[in-house]
Amino acid sequence: MSRQRRAPGPCGGRVHNVLRAAWSRAQRAKPSLGVAALVLALGCGGGGQGDGGPKVIVLGFDGMDYGLARHFMETGAMPNFARLAESGRFGPLGTSVPPLSPVAWSNFITGMDAGGHGIFDFIHRDPERMIPEFSTSKAESSERTLKLGKWQIPLGSGKIELLRKGEPFWSVLERRGVETTIIRMPANFPPSGSASRELSGMGTIDILGSPGIFSYYTSELFAADRQVSGGVIYEAWEEDGVVHAELHGPDNPFLVEKEEVTADFELYPDPEEPIAKLVVGSEERLLKVGEWSDWVPVTFELIPTQSLHGMCRFYLKALRPELQLYVSPINFDPLAPDIPISTPEDYATELARRSGRFYTQGMPEDVQALKAGVLDRREFLAQAKIAGDEIRRQYEPVLADFTSGLLFYYFGNLDQVSHMMFRAIDRQHPRYDPVADAPFAGVIEELYRQADEIVGYTLDHMADDTLLIVMSDHGFASLRRRMSLNTWLYERGYLAVKNPDLSQDPGFFANIDWSRTRAYAVGLNGLYVNLAGRERDGIVPPAERRALMEEIAAELLATIDPATGQPAVTKVYRREEVYRDRGAIDVGPDLIIGFARGTGGADDSSLGGVPPEVFTDNDGEWTGDHGMDHETVPGILLTSRPLKRPATELKNLAASILAELGVEGFPATADPGEK
Amino acid sequence: MINSFLRPLFDGLLYPFRGLHPLVGLTVVSLVAAIGILYVFKLTSNQDKLAAVKRKIHAGLFEIRLFNDNPRAILRAQLDILRHNLTYLRLAMVPLLWMIVPLVLVIAQLQFHYGYRGLDPGQSTLVKVELAAAAGRPQAILHAPAGVAVEAGPAWLPALNEVAWRIAAVEPGDYELDLEIGGESLSKSVRVSNDVVRRSPIRPSAAFADQLLYPAEPPLPRGSAVRAIHVVYPPGDAGIPGWESEWTWMIVFFVLSMVFAFALRKPLGVTF
Repeated sequence: MSRQRRAPGPCGGRVHNVLRAAWSRAQRAKPSLGVAALVLALGCGGGGQGDGGPKVIVLGFDGMDYGLARHFMETGAMPNFARLAESGRFGPLGTSVPPLSPVAWSNFITGMDAGGHGIFDFIHRDPERMIPEFSTSKAESSERTLKLGKWQIPLGSGKIELLRKGEPFWSVLERRGVETTIIRMPANFPPSGSASRELSGMGTIDILGSPGIFSYYTSELFAADRQVSGGVIYEAWEEDGVVHAELHGPDNPFLVEKEEVTADFELYPDPEEPIAKLVVGSEERLLKVGEWSDWVPVTFELIPTQSLHGMCRFYLKALRPELQLYVSPINFDPLAPDIPISTPEDYATELARRSGRFYTQGMPEDVQALKAGVLDRREFLAQAKIAGDEIRRQYEPVLADFTSGLLFYYFGNLDQVSHMMFRAIDRQHPRYDPVADAPFAGVIEELYRQADEIVGYTLDHMADDTLLIVMSDHGFASLRRRMSLNTWLYERGYLAVKNPDLSQDPGFFANIDWSRTRAYAVGLNGLYVNLAGRERDGIVPPAERRALMEEIAAELLATIDPATGQPAVTKVYRREEVYRDRGAIDVGPDLIIGFARGTGGADDSSLGGVPPEVFTDNDGEWTGDHGMDHETVPGILLTSRPLKRPATELKNLAASILAELGVEGFPATADPGEK
Repeated sequence: MINSFLRPLFDGLLYPFRGLHPLVGLTVVSLVAAIGILYVFKLTSNQDKLAAVKRKIHAGLFEIRLFNDNPRAILRAQLDILRHNLTYLRLAMVPLLWMIVPLVLVIAQLQFHYGYRGLDPGQSTLVKVELAAAAGRPQAILHAPAGVAVEAGPAWLPALNEVAWRIAAVEPGDYELDLEIGGESLSKSVRVSNDVVRRSPIRPSAAFADQLLYPAEPPLPRGSAVRAIHVVYPPGDAGIPGWESEWTWMIVFFVLSMVFAFALRKPLGVTF
């Protein structure tokens, strides 16, 4: 017996909150992303022997910090990095403005800055509708349907559109006959289709069309009244020795009236021992308390001839005194993918057949469940290890298949876990607790050791003439303080609210009085002028835009965080100044804010809310970050030999890689002076 | 008794194919089955009458083409064709009745060779003991051999009247799990192998229907407090990736058998 209550939550974290809340908003505003996705659906050691052509392997470690990597190399924790640095080059790699993963990886992919590729943040805003929206992809269901009573038949296919502009560097290689394999490149969902083999990564949706919505089933009273970001809590009770509950899918696109598709499951607890049997369709698992299941395939029947194929992992937290069952976001099953996640389309299936099912959602580490208190830190680390192990296991056959051309392989584990564990290595962090954090003090070092092992494995299995490039998109810093840009704008009279006494701002600009607002913030680092003729309710004449931006920039740079006595913002860029590429610059914020190292934007503000305080101590679980002054969080670049064309920043790394493969002139549209 | 004869017989017949791709064995089995079917069909059917009735059906079809502007002739020809078809079915029924029992026995044996995939080392699965009657928590112990590890359990699930364990395959091999359930000592086979070998997902009760459906292993003793013991094997794919189903092999078998039967009917002089 279960009673379910969906609880799209307010903010409480950072990037994932932003993404997930924006997803919730998008769900309400237009046909669901999930529905659109549905309609759209209608041995090791051999690598490196080589075929004679040039070979380049690029390993991308999201969030690997230059300072930490150098430190661990010096202490001997990263011997393979040190070995590689001796023969090649190791140094910082300039990141993007702002230093956020989708922006940074898009810089790398296109050889352009955000002004060229059009990805400025995780979140953009639609100036016509004034709502936050995803920056990297957009899903739309078919608009034409044939209605038959309560049923409808989509007459066209929906589409998922990659919003990143510019040509990916591997397209240029493929045109020159160089084979490329691009695994989990961020900001590449749906996959570009131009590589010989591609698997989409960060940005890939779960079955609900979101970045990842977990479910939590519990018998705790009133638990379902709790709203959490990035997940839904359902009440579920045992009756006559069994718990009946449902897994929740997206709305059924074949029904005129919106109705969620569901899949039943049962949990049979042992009345005395901490163990239970789980039954999902024809799948059965026996789980002890504290155990994770493997991937359990789930089929959502839409109509008798059409089904949606998902999969999830179960974690049995407790059976007594209360049932506590965590279910991962339902991922698209790579053995039967209903959305495009690879090139060719069956490549994801081939990978799954060779090394097992794997998380297909873009960011598999469930930081939201940790922030919501559904998983504790140990449980989160166990879940993150499962996700990381899958990706490492999958790397082995991919590397074994690589004989020539380019192989790019992405590892996101280090970034996501660093976000949640950074406080354990920062004694000045407001959440630092010497006792509680002691067991986690070595987690980040272990992440770097694992990265080192991957490099060691690669060195052992690649041909001698292969160029190995190890890079990251940005670095990391402790996130001690948070600054709400919208509140700052409000206190200085740039932004007006409808109700100053509102106890809980729902965000999404709901409380902003546009008729008196001259500037607003959305996204983690973006600040926009409420420009007449551009914004739906814009009031600032275009002629006054520049003066207003300069005024705000000067005030921001002069703002002192009262708790630290230091400037809270160390860089404020006008987009016209910081971006040299201009093809998509109009999408971006007018000002890009570089917070001081240690400070980051407040989540509520990043989603269009106006929380009460400008500055707050960071008291959440998300204790490490990089959405700061980009010069303070450089990534790394490590190469097995000096590059013919040295790269100092992400934006020109692709051109260096292409030069190694005999291709010049990338990107075609870039200012040659950039290189 | 029949099962105890058929099990080693089919194990021996399929032994040469155990290490080969499943389609190889299935092709040979289908060929042999087609020849057998044709032979039985020839022996047990009235070939002359079958040939005559087929000629009459063809004549009816020819009549329809010839008199396509005469509705009465067409209707009469269609009625004749229907009548001759019924005669054909009656004549074909006799050999079908002769074949049905041996075919069921053969299919049941093949099901347990081709219907399931083997466990790989490292792979987990469930061992489920169905109890015959609801009672309190039974004393349940599973003794696993060296090639199999018990990962979890026993779990007593009163709502299902079941005791379950999770086991993991450790090393390839044929093993016997020894179970003690409520004072009874029972065993259940488990095979860790990807070869085409007989796998028994269920050790059934001694009931006739259960023995007919699950002949891969000797039944449980009569009067046992256990109704059945299951080892969950993943469904097979007959060597066709993406076609995982317990019945995939059967589709392949029937299609190939039909193809071979059609191809060999003239060389073997069989009318059907």
